[in-house]
Amino acid sequence: MQHIINFLIKYRNLLLYLVLFSISIIFTVQSHSYHRNTFIHSTGNVTGSILNLRQEFYAYLDLDKQNDYLSKENARLRMRLLAAGDTLLGRPATMMFADSLPFTVVPARVIKNSYDKLDNFITIDIGADQDISSDMGVITSNGIVGIVDITSARFSRVISVLNSEISLNAQIKGTSTIGSLTWDGTDPYTMSLIDVPRLAQVVPGDTIITGKQSTTFPPDIEIGVIKDAVLIDNGSRYKIDVRLFNNMTDLGYVYVIKNRDADALQIIDTLSTNE
Amino acid sequence: MNDVLKIAFRFVGLLTLQVFFFDQINFLGFINPMVYILFIVLYPFENNRLLFLLLAFGYGLIMDSFQDTGGAHAAACVTLTMIRPFFLKLVYGESYLMKNLKLLATSLDRILLLLLLSTFTHHLIYFSLVIFNTSQVLEIIKMICSVGGATIIVSALIMLIIKPRRY
Repeated sequence: MQHIINFLIKYRNLLLYLVLFSISIIFTVQSHSYHRNTFIHSTGNVTGSILNLRQEFYAYLDLDKQNDYLSKENARLRMRLLAAGDTLLGRPATMMFADSLPFTVVPARVIKNSYDKLDNFITIDIGADQDISSDMGVITSNGIVGIVDITSARFSRVISVLNSEISLNAQIKGTSTIGSLTWDGTDPYTMSLIDVPRLAQVVPGDTIITGKQSTTFPPDIEIGVIKDAVLIDNGSRYKIDVRLFNNMTDLGYVYVIKNRDADALQIIDTLSTNE
Repeated sequence: MNDVLKIAFRFVGLLTLQVFFFDQINFLGFINPMVYILFIVLYPFENNRLLFLLLAFGYGLIMDSFQDTGGAHAAACVTLTMIRPFFLKLVYGESYLMKNLKLLATSLDRILLLLLLSTFTHHLIYFSLVIFNTSQVLEIIKMICSVGGATIIVSALIMLIIKPRRY
């Protein structure tokens, strides 16, 4: 007994170091796995408020560019509105009797963004108080940003599309070819579309859009264009480099998408696996 | 008491500087110098190791919560804290504790050597944990060299500014 106590006293620094180091490693491993509740994250009240303060300061330096983005987006939406006005006369019934639209869009401000790690996260300034919950999609006017991961009362953490754990359902515009959109951790302007069959029509310059199988994102949101495509796995599948429309290194305002039917779709999806 | 105040000031000051300024630099798109490790490098030579380890752990966890890196900063900080006495022996000789040294009052070349060793250790642990993939060893080495270089240059400049004129 005496020996054990002597040992503990003699090596107390080393033992404490090993304990602390192991705790850090556990936290790190958890942070690398998708959808695990982590203890250390940036949505806490104090951390969030400090990041918010920082963003308020730096936002002043960026006002011109953000104004430019918003006015361009306004113009684009106005054009769509004019186009919609034409078709509206044809079928007024569907517009008038729908009790609510399937997707609700909530604006949010990015208070923290990173793109230099393998697993990147974004923090936004709305949370459970605004009915934000995990698995909601986040987009900008130029394309997709990520999926909500953790929410606290006032802040939420978003898994950026620049995260090695993410895999999104995507589709080549104009065809029904689908694949999974992933990121390999090198270039923040490019993602890869994998699992595309060999017989698919792949032409550089084609647009990639969100697929219809996703419950997080509405279909037909433009993501990027095909930059390059190579056949892998003995020529059985394509790996397509997709150049993102969205500049992930410069995010100001984003939109969180709530899908009214998400729960219902989820239940239908799991029905067959339970049987 | 004076020492405690100084440590508290550095703790808060370096964290604020790191979070508000150095994390936003993004030089060449990915280089953000990690100047906050100066707190551990500059910590008084004569100290309570247990307290120092706990302090470094908490310090790293605060950085982790701001950057969403899990526990990578904390792991790097406690390792640097644990290994610092060996570096001090290497740089200032076996009996550095007897000489009653103040780090900032020593000559510049020794400070730079200590900084180089500390930065390398810290960044090695940090980037290995953040990238966390054995197939990307080249990426880890690239990050250690580029970010480490930036950290050393900026830290050395800060030390030159706070260094007393006469020693």
